[in-house]
Amino acid sequence: MTIESKNESGKLTLTITGRLDTSTSPKLEEELKASYEGVTELVFDLQKLEYISSAGLRVLLSAQKTMNKQGIMKLINAREEIMEIFEITGFTDILTIE
Amino acid sequence: MKEKKNTAKREKKKPKVSIIFKSILGIVILLIVFSVIVSIMGFNNFTDALLDQYSDGAFRTANTAVMEFDAGKIDDYAASGGKTKEYVTALESMERLCNSSGSTFIYVIRPDLTDYRHITFLFSTINKNTDYTRYEFGFVRDTTNEEYMEKYRKLYEGTSEQELVIRDKGYIETDPHITAMVPIKDNDGKTTAILCVQRQMDNLVHVRNTYIGKILIVMIVLMILVIIGQIVYLHRVFLRPVKKITEEASRFSHENDLPENKLSEKVKSNDEIGILAGSIDRMEERIVKYIDDLTKVTAEKERISTELGLATKIQASMLPSVFPPFPDRTEFDIYASMDPAKEVGGDFYDFFLVDDDHLCLVMADVSGKGVPAALFMMASKIILANYAKMGKTPSEILRAANATICSSNQEDMFVTVWLGILEITTGRLTAANAGHEYPVIMHPDGNFEIYKDKHGFVIGGMEGLKYKEYTIDMKPGSKLFLYTDGVPEATNAEKELFGTERMLAALNKGSDGSPQDILKTVRSSVDAFVKDAEQFDDLTMMCLEYKGR
Repeated sequence: MTIESKNESGKLTLTITGRLDTSTSPKLEEELKASYEGVTELVFDLQKLEYISSAGLRVLLSAQKTMNKQGIMKLINAREEIMEIFEITGFTDILTIE
Repeated sequence: MKEKKNTAKREKKKPKVSIIFKSILGIVILLIVFSVIVSIMGFNNFTDALLDQYSDGAFRTANTAVMEFDAGKIDDYAASGGKTKEYVTALESMERLCNSSGSTFIYVIRPDLTDYRHITFLFSTINKNTDYTRYEFGFVRDTTNEEYMEKYRKLYEGTSEQELVIRDKGYIETDPHITAMVPIKDNDGKTTAILCVQRQMDNLVHVRNTYIGKILIVMIVLMILVIIGQIVYLHRVFLRPVKKITEEASRFSHENDLPENKLSEKVKSNDEIGILAGSIDRMEERIVKYIDDLTKVTAEKERISTELGLATKIQASMLPSVFPPFPDRTEFDIYASMDPAKEVGGDFYDFFLVDDDHLCLVMADVSGKGVPAALFMMASKIILANYAKMGKTPSEILRAANATICSSNQEDMFVTVWLGILEITTGRLTAANAGHEYPVIMHPDGNFEIYKDKHGFVIGGMEGLKYKEYTIDMKPGSKLFLYTDGVPEATNAEKELFGTERMLAALNKGSDGSPQDILKTVRSSVDAFVKDAEQFDDLTMMCLEYKGR
């Protein structure tokens, strides 16, 4: 998994490529923890995300909870397979998915 | 664990060539070269100095003889035939000079002037202390060699006033001598004969031999002294400490612990060897510390590994694993299995009778894996079972569990839960889903099909959530298959997912079988698909067959 990060005056866009699972999620979690400060809009571009496991969902949930306090969070370009996982787990009700 | 000490006898390696021998060899060669140079220089100096002395004496004698000699009468002497009174007087006077000056010979010659190849003796005297015989008047002889010829010529032609011939070839020859030559000139300054004074140089040879002998003795004594001195010095300053260091290094490599006395205390030296000893001390300390650390870390790892193994066992023992679980209940058959991807996983299933008529089924998946997931799983399992046994409905159970878990969930962990309660007498299944995979249902004479139930959010994710509840009527022969995402998301080496389609196909292939057979069929289908690829996620399945009364 690779993370591309782009910060434009408070709008942080993270493009995630590959699999977000038990072994790669901690990397995303660290990346997020290091860059929350001053972020008012957090965008996950999931176009290149192939797979998300429950560990990855946990990181997204954490991010959502953090962003609830300081701004908004969006997920964009999620593939069908990923969307299905969001639906099954009920994350579609919690996250803003465009 | 204590290692056996000194089991193998320590090999004492002897150096092929001792460092002492090497260093002494160097010094001996140096001494020999030095003494040869000194000998040659001294030898030459002696020779030069003695030759100067000898030649000075010879020329003084020659000049005295020439002065006493009446040059004007040379032709008379030549004509005298060695018999006239004048000749005899001159010869006697010359003989006296020869004896008093210590010369070997004093003689007067006339070479033949065409090519100087022959000489004619006019006078010839011999020191009385020698046993040579003298040449009679008029004796003619071949000139000894080219050198003499050349010198005779120079004296006759007037290009030189005195000549010296040194014959000490080989230097140690028995009769080295010098011959000093001066011309005898008439009143016109023309050379008419040559007066020669010959001196033996026995003394020179003797002095030189003594000198070389002394140098030899001094050198040998010096060599012995240097060798002894060098051995003692090297032994004290170099070899003994190096030997101690070598022994210590060898000891350490076998025993791997610190010595009783530090090397730098044993080797007290302010040179490089002392520094080396100190360095070895420090190195040993560091290695020992490193080994200690490593041992601790390894022990710690072993402990963790053991505890993880225990955790896995405890976790497994938490799940009902005796089948059939309710041998006296004929209304239903149930089978379940869990294969964690890591030592301890986050998946769990559960089933238990709430009362005689109600069977509670739980299939759940905790976010993440490993020990944190396992701990969270245990808590979730107990909380869910507790609320279920209080007689709550599935949606109430999930709501209450979510509230409990959220109140103390610092790590944002969550668990997806499918929970159903089967009313055994009627076959009515009431269920609620908190973000878990869809259940799969098969009714008699039908196929296994995904049942797209109403989903709520995962448990532990957010406070104050409510869950919707639904019912399914199970008929005798109906089967319910529950699973975690490890099944549809099992991945092969080409990164393909097993998927729900393949899962349904596997289920329908053996749909007639018992719950245990059905799980086996799915499992082998997953294994055939994944082949050798690593198992990423826990693989947990449960199957219920409702048989009715």
